[in-house]
Amino acid sequence: MGEKPIKGEQKAFMTGNEAVAWAALAAGADIMYGYPITPQNEIMQYWTRLAPKYEKKFLQTEDELSAGFTTVGGVLAGRRAFTATAGPGNVLMQEPMSMAEAMRIPTVVVVQQRGGPSTATVIYSQQEVTLTCFGGNGEGLRVVYSTSSHQELFDYTIKAFNTAWKYRFPTFVLADGYQAKMRESLVLYDPQEKGQKMVPTEAFVGKPGTPGEDRAPAHLRNTYNIEEELMDELAKDIKEYEEMTPEITEYEEFNTQDTDVLIVAHGIVFRSVAMAARELAEEGLKVGYFRPITLRPFPRQELQKAAAKAKQILVVESAYGQLLKMVKDNLYGLDVPIKGYLRPGVGITPEEVVADVRTILGEEE
Amino acid sequence: MDKTVKIALAGEGGQGVQSVAMILTEAAAMEGKEILYIPNFGVEQRGGVSIAFVQIGDKKIGAPKFKTGDIVIALSDRAVRRVNMYAGHETIFIYDAGIEGVEDDLPEVAQRVLAIPALETANKELHPRVFNVLIMGALIGATHVVTLEKAKEAIEKKLGYKFEQNPKLREMNFKALERGYEMVAGTGVA
Repeated sequence: MGEKPIKGEQKAFMTGNEAVAWAALAAGADIMYGYPITPQNEIMQYWTRLAPKYEKKFLQTEDELSAGFTTVGGVLAGRRAFTATAGPGNVLMQEPMSMAEAMRIPTVVVVQQRGGPSTATVIYSQQEVTLTCFGGNGEGLRVVYSTSSHQELFDYTIKAFNTAWKYRFPTFVLADGYQAKMRESLVLYDPQEKGQKMVPTEAFVGKPGTPGEDRAPAHLRNTYNIEEELMDELAKDIKEYEEMTPEITEYEEFNTQDTDVLIVAHGIVFRSVAMAARELAEEGLKVGYFRPITLRPFPRQELQKAAAKAKQILVVESAYGQLLKMVKDNLYGLDVPIKGYLRPGVGITPEEVVADVRTILGEEE
Repeated sequence: MDKTVKIALAGEGGQGVQSVAMILTEAAAMEGKEILYIPNFGVEQRGGVSIAFVQIGDKKIGAPKFKTGDIVIALSDRAVRRVNMYAGHETIFIYDAGIEGVEDDLPEVAQRVLAIPALETANKELHPRVFNVLIMGALIGATHVVTLEKAKEAIEKKLGYKFEQNPKLREMNFKALERGYEMVAGTGVA
């Protein structure tokens, strides 16, 4: 074993991509598989710089299909493996992640959203929400953390490995091009030093002993002959996913008792929303926010509770209704009106949010 | 400093605006300030207008994008047209005095519009290579977001290896920083 990459708490000023590479190191990741795509390239770049110093590995594959499948393979061999991608790469990544979902493989994928559809921009968006949460030909049995700062990128990348290995669902850290490329301060730490134990990894295949005699056979399947057989398997997975849900859902809220406008946002946009809501609340206006941190599973009950005390909901996102759709789905049955401030592929400033909320409040007068 | 200072710095790709932002934010980080720096980047590897959005303050910075900057600097005609939208009533808008044909593009709303002979000074008195460091000096003169001493430390950290080989470069960079600082500090904007 090489020496520990991080000792004590270290204040750092770096890009989000660099923060992810450090987090993976701190989490004890063994290997990264990847294929370059902007804006996630520097995760690979920093990892390849850091990895040899700590006896970690890196494999560049021929595309994202391969990066995803090799990540699955790394996990099957018992390695804490991860990959990172964005945009069209994330589209290709869905095929292997669908397999991970089928076989309950604890892969970790970091997504730095860029503009879409197709090549679009290399800059930024929140347009990979639906894809990351529900991509693949399945039911979206995955965990998706949406971060909003470098500190969270670091914290949740570490956490993603633990959630994945504890519950055995593919886990995603969903950020964006702004978070990838911007520089801000954060504190790096070794999770073990803070008492945050890393869930141990184990090989899925090639275990010692004779299958059926010394141990149960490894029976990994993504193929079924009979409809009912598949349904039974999925019913078990869905049940376990639902049992896990209250244990891992995370959210943040402000001023949600009796609001005229409750703003819902995630990721980097949440920062603009938080600034806007606090500014308006300081003026005495009844404005609050709700921020899902886990987009999958979604904090449904918590949002419902906040929404039940709101006169109007405003969903703000850099996409054309991807979060809005999730919010509507999770609030079905409540009669609170829902409006969207939707800017696909474009950053949102606090000033814009303030202006939109003022318009809504003005309309009500 | 009780307020977050918002800066938009724009120039042609290759003029070194991102390097200025890197060194400036490093200096601010060494002073223990809170910073958010986001480069604006396109698909092109070279050319095009490059913008650095920088916010420096004492508290955690909120959103990465802002509508109005406190200081907006443009180093080419295209850059003037690209970033004049970030000027508001309290903005100090600085551009290079050598830029021609932008009279109608300068932001009328800005509190102050300042033309500084940065390129000319760098070319005639110093060296074209330190143009961007001169701009950094002007930026510090207008905002005082970091001290000149810290800025020099950050330059040393970034370019120290080059200074080892040629100590004259250090002198030239520091001089450019000071010249830029004086250009703006003397105008009463800060």
